[in-house]
Amino acid sequence: MTAVPRLFSILRQGPYLIASVHTALDDSQLVRFQEDLVHRIGADRARGVVIDVAALDVLDSFGSRTLRDVAEMARLRGAVTVIVGIQPDVAFAMVELGMDTGSVLTALDLEEGLVELDRCVAAPPVVPT
Amino acid sequence: MPRVAAVEPVGTPGEESGPAGVADLIPLVRRIVAARVPDPATADDLVQETLARVLAAAERVEPGMLEPYAIVTARNVVASMWREQDRQRRHQHRVVDLRPPEAPDEDVLAAEDRAAVAEALTRLSDRERETLLAHEVSGQDTRSLAAELGSTAGAVAAQLNRTRARLRVEYLLVSERVEPPTERCRPVLLALSSGDRRRQREVDAARHLLECDVCARLSAPLLGRGRRARDDELRVPVRTDADIVAARQAARELATKLRFSPTDITLIATAVSEVTRNIVRFADSGEVVVAALEEPRCGISIVARDAGPGIPDVERALQDGYSTYQGLGLGLPGARRLMDEFAVVSETGRGTTVTMTKWRGDA
Repeated sequence: MTAVPRLFSILRQGPYLIASVHTALDDSQLVRFQEDLVHRIGADRARGVVIDVAALDVLDSFGSRTLRDVAEMARLRGAVTVIVGIQPDVAFAMVELGMDTGSVLTALDLEEGLVELDRCVAAPPVVPT
Repeated sequence: MPRVAAVEPVGTPGEESGPAGVADLIPLVRRIVAARVPDPATADDLVQETLARVLAAAERVEPGMLEPYAIVTARNVVASMWREQDRQRRHQHRVVDLRPPEAPDEDVLAAEDRAAVAEALTRLSDRERETLLAHEVSGQDTRSLAAELGSTAGAVAAQLNRTRARLRVEYLLVSERVEPPTERCRPVLLALSSGDRRRQREVDAARHLLECDVCARLSAPLLGRGRRARDDELRVPVRTDADIVAARQAARELATKLRFSPTDITLIATAVSEVTRNIVRFADSGEVVVAALEEPRCGISIVARDAGPGIPDVERALQDGYSTYQGLGLGLPGARRLMDEFAVVSETGRGTTVTMTKWRGDA
């Protein structure tokens, strides 16, 4: 790996991972972010993930889909994902674009995201028996 | 169709609702049209058109109803002209052939051009020429070139830039068929061609241009390079994923300069992202041109152009959920929703051009 500045960071915080995107990512960087994160969920045995996308200037169809896929992969690996920090203008554009992101948990910021994770991990959704 | 029945009642001759009645309507029609169309020549045409229609219908219209009929017809004629004008404006870009027409002297010029480039190439050093051709013609990337030459990718890229600058100068000298009159000409032209400000100062390029007519003439195209890019038009070549980010940042930059609202800027950037991704996905390479619009009001226009395979069924590609790769199928329809105007022109085998416009909301 060359010495390029890190475009995203994945930090461990107790049973959770906090993944922050630092700058606008292009598609292949987004895919790498996705792969790294899914790998880290297993390696760190994380129960929950907060993805902070406050630095993303745009969440277009590819970006939204990648985030949705991350959340789904994380779920399959036994972790809950909360997306935080979607900028108001970005949210507006996503709705106009016609993105369907209803299945993904979101919170306003990192703090709210961690609270949301606590809630979800403590009381997992009831599975009908 | 009861066409046969309609033949009969036509025959009501002798009644003077014909030509004479119509002639009385002329001032009225003129007034109606003139109130709506300022241009007298166009107004005149529309009056004629209205009268022709009224005349044609005169026999079908009940007596006494000719005047209201003429009024409605005049209005309709004006309205349909406006509609037509609007449609023409919206479709104007379709008329534009992406390829310039082939001029009769094109072959000759192209041959001369090729000869000039070939001649200019021979004036480069062997090593410069080989590296340039390996990169530009064979498509070898700088990294593998660097490995062969025992250098770094950055150094090879810099070297290529210098070679290109030299090639531009030599090409100009060959095609203009001039030899530089003084010793200083070549270094000055080279410094201008490479856009190296420091070197330009060292050789005192500005003064030389004032003194040397040949260089003043030759330097015009060299200086013109890159100047356009600084204006209110940004051109982003698109090849890889990273260029998607570059294109949307260019759009963001210009939209910010044009004082679009932050929300609109994000909408524009998102739309640019979508159409640029299509270039990367389907066409390998293309370009995105972001330009400011002043007419009819302040706006931004984005043209994403590629010479890829084209879209076989544009109508279908504009529908939600139609995707030929693992996408959401939101690219084109999504971008269309984000912008005010949106048009796709595509020809199979020749490429696709997406033109989109966003007008600035007047706050």
